[in-house]
Amino acid sequence: MKIKILERTDRELEFELEGEGHTLCNLLRKVLLEDEDVTFAGYRIEHPLIGKPKVYVRTNGEKDPLEAVIEAAKKIKKMAEEFREAFLNSLKGSHYE
Amino acid sequence: MNIRILEKDENSIKFILEDVDVAFTNSLRRIILAEVPTMAIDDVIIIENSSPLFDEIIAHRLGLIPLKTDLDAYVLPEKCECGGEGCANCQVALTLEVEATDGPMTVYSGHLKSQDPKIVPVSEKIPIVKLAKGQKLVLEAYARLGQGKEHAKWQPVSVAAYKYLPIINLDYEKCDQCGACVEACPREILELKNGELVIGDVFNCNLCKSCEEACDLEAIKISFDDRTFIFTIEGTGVLPPERILEEAVKILAEKADQLIEEMEKVKGT
Ligand SMILES: [Zn+2]
Repeated sequence: MKIKILERTDRELEFELEGEGHTLCNLLRKVLLEDEDVTFAGYRIEHPLIGKPKVYVRTNGEKDPLEAVIEAAKKIKKMAEEFREAFLNSLKGSHYE
Repeated sequence: MNIRILEKDENSIKFILEDVDVAFTNSLRRIILAEVPTMAIDDVIIIENSSPLFDEIIAHRLGLIPLKTDLDAYVLPEKCECGGEGCANCQVALTLEVEATDGPMTVYSGHLKSQDPKIVPVSEKIPIVKLAKGQKLVLEAYARLGQGKEHAKWQPVSVAAYKYLPIINLDYEKCDQCGACVEACPREILELKNGELVIGDVFNCNLCKSCEEACDLEAIKISFDDRTFIFTIEGTGVLPPERILEEAVKILAEKADQLIEEMEKVKGT
């Protein structure tokens, strides 16, 4: 993953996520939109063969958009951990071992 | 988030995933298909080939043979200390030497001899080429870890899919037990028992709404729960299905970690 910042102000952030695609960006967008301070979040992949999605985040000014992205990434990590735990529990709890 | 396993065997798993959104579920599905690494033959050195097939066709067929994968012992070549040149940590050599001495014979995946007894074909009965008497095939093949996004031969699964949990709503007041919906359902979920409409296996419903269309009284309604999923994974045998899921979720967490790390770097500037 390589990040290139294209634009950064106190309420706007646009960056390029080289090497990623819909897998991460769509989830990131979804989680960002759940943040009350985020007024807009989206991404686009200009060419399907060149994996360089551009992510755009805008906040209401209460929060640094960069901070919003970091918080969203932390939420994604928590979701992944939650899934892992739930899955391991379901394996243990069932008669499949 | 809650998970209930519905079915599980050696190669496949089916479970209900509750209280998550599609974005997460889809990320997981996409990682399973494109990013969980598996072993496959990627480099072939043909020493002798008098079979009726061209070298490259044989090489292609070898690549498509699923190999049992040991993710704890091998790393992706791009992450290897050797820099991707190929060493014992990222590469396995397999050899094949077959000569049809007593008449026609078929060369099978089972003829491949692996350097590592853990990295062997999932099945020994995958045909590679048929040889006539006197024909010979001698080659060296190198398997490495790779990802499905590079080539489908590195996909750990043949199926990774999910669907929303179907909800079948039946209005017993309106229903006149005509049986039209029973006829219409392609999955045969509905049944008329002693003049009463009975709903069978809801998980099997494919949300086609044929029953809704068939019902003139609007007594049956199909909807779905968009935060509950029925997730199906059918592995190719290279990795156990539970390991595939564990790896996928690990990759997702790594992605999040990398994003945090990169963003923290930017924050400092
Ligand atoms: Zn190496």
